[in-house]
Amino acid sequence: MKIIILGFGAVGQGVARVISMKKDYLKNKYELNPQIVAVCDRSGAAICETGLDEELLIQTKNDTGKVALYPDYGHPDIDSLQVLDEVEYDCLVEVTPTDIDDGEPARSHIMKSMEDGKDVVTSNKGPLALSFQDLADCARMNGVEFKFEASVGGAMPIINFAHETLAGCEIESIYGILNGTTNYILSRMANEGSSYEQTLKEAQEMGIAETNPYQDVEGIDAACKIVILANSVLNLPVTLKDVEVEGISKITSESIALAKKEGLLIKLIGEASPDALEVSPRLVRLGSPFAVEGTLNVATLKTDLADDVTVVGKGAGSVETASAILSDIVSIWKIRK
Amino acid sequence: MRFNLVLDVPDVPGQLLEVLEPMGRLGANIVAVIHQRDVKTERGTVPVQITIEGDKETLDKVMGALESKDIQILEVDGVLRKEQITTVLVGDIVEEDLQDTVSKLNQLKSVKVADLDLKMSDEPKNSATKMVIEADFGLRKEVLKNIKKLGAEKGFLVINEV
Repeated sequence: MKIIILGFGAVGQGVARVISMKKDYLKNKYELNPQIVAVCDRSGAAICETGLDEELLIQTKNDTGKVALYPDYGHPDIDSLQVLDEVEYDCLVEVTPTDIDDGEPARSHIMKSMEDGKDVVTSNKGPLALSFQDLADCARMNGVEFKFEASVGGAMPIINFAHETLAGCEIESIYGILNGTTNYILSRMANEGSSYEQTLKEAQEMGIAETNPYQDVEGIDAACKIVILANSVLNLPVTLKDVEVEGISKITSESIALAKKEGLLIKLIGEASPDALEVSPRLVRLGSPFAVEGTLNVATLKTDLADDVTVVGKGAGSVETASAILSDIVSIWKIRK
Repeated sequence: MRFNLVLDVPDVPGQLLEVLEPMGRLGANIVAVIHQRDVKTERGTVPVQITIEGDKETLDKVMGALESKDIQILEVDGVLRKEQITTVLVGDIVEEDLQDTVSKLNQLKSVKVADLDLKMSDEPKNSATKMVIEADFGLRKEVLKNIKKLGAEKGFLVINEV
């Protein structure tokens, strides 16, 4: 299976790493031989029709910051759309940075690939949260597979879990902690009694919160994920603007202390249900499945047959997120082989 | 027929008698009473389990009498009559007229604020209040909607239960 990776940040490098780590396993178990035939970043591309060396790709990126400097096969003067045109491949892995204003360049990459009859795997929330239905229609019309397990909850299985493992159940609603950064901040505030500002600063120093934490702390990131779940699991044709969003920046140590007295914690919860599409701070009971600490993600699916089913997992991390992408690649392989 | 009731009784002398009185007066048989004073709710009240026996008419009269005495019936035959909704509001709670906040929540039929905890902050807008609201079973959605509306009016951050 020939793969093109667009975007070579933490997730893209994670994909290269897991492919390298799992070569023998994939071959023995699934007769799958994934070859990375091209990788693009802002600097250009590395292209080799017989497969690039995964470790050398990561090393080149780490040493120079540019995949275009990959020995012998580097191309500094080529852009990603050109690569999709000129290189022969089976599956696109779209992992460029998320843009929540217009979803670009990921949206164009995904559309072009699907129109060219290629399967697509992505972790990119932007295009999914803004134009899910267009992308799903495009995949259907072109008869290609379009998978995005890694876009919600990183390593936590949810989309494929809902579609395949819970097949036969009607899923009525989904509630979840879908952002690790805010869960870390709220957990620390509850444990230490510290203020929001102080805890955010600490999280930034530890690299858990970004320098510009806006999308995380104001609930935008979680809202994107709730849109993806609403569309893909509940079949609700909604977009980001339909979500009622309230972040955690107004949460005070006083409110956390009051909740704690009652055996409650405050968590940023995303809800997709017939009643509401929202992200907001909510009270959860200590000892309930939502009382997870640190950067963990958790989601509960309310179903008609199986009642409540809850999944927990790491919501971020390079290899963890890549594990979800790899599972999508394997699913596509099972369909295509 | 029989009714298994769970009643919410204040922990003050004479309350148990107060509850039992209409049962005796109206002719219902008391089958069992479980009253453990040291098991209390968060609000310091005592849940009392009582099983009464009688014909339907008698039992309905007893229920009517309990209700008219304002005795809280929590459960009938294992089915919840009342439910509690906890909410936390963040903002300038006092400046935005706490009394008005409570009475607006109480306006809804068979809904009342049963407990209120207030935590003031050096920064008034960071103050918080926790309320436990009691409502007839099935009113949860409506109560939550009302809390949200009130929060929007007064500029509070509303933190409801999941």
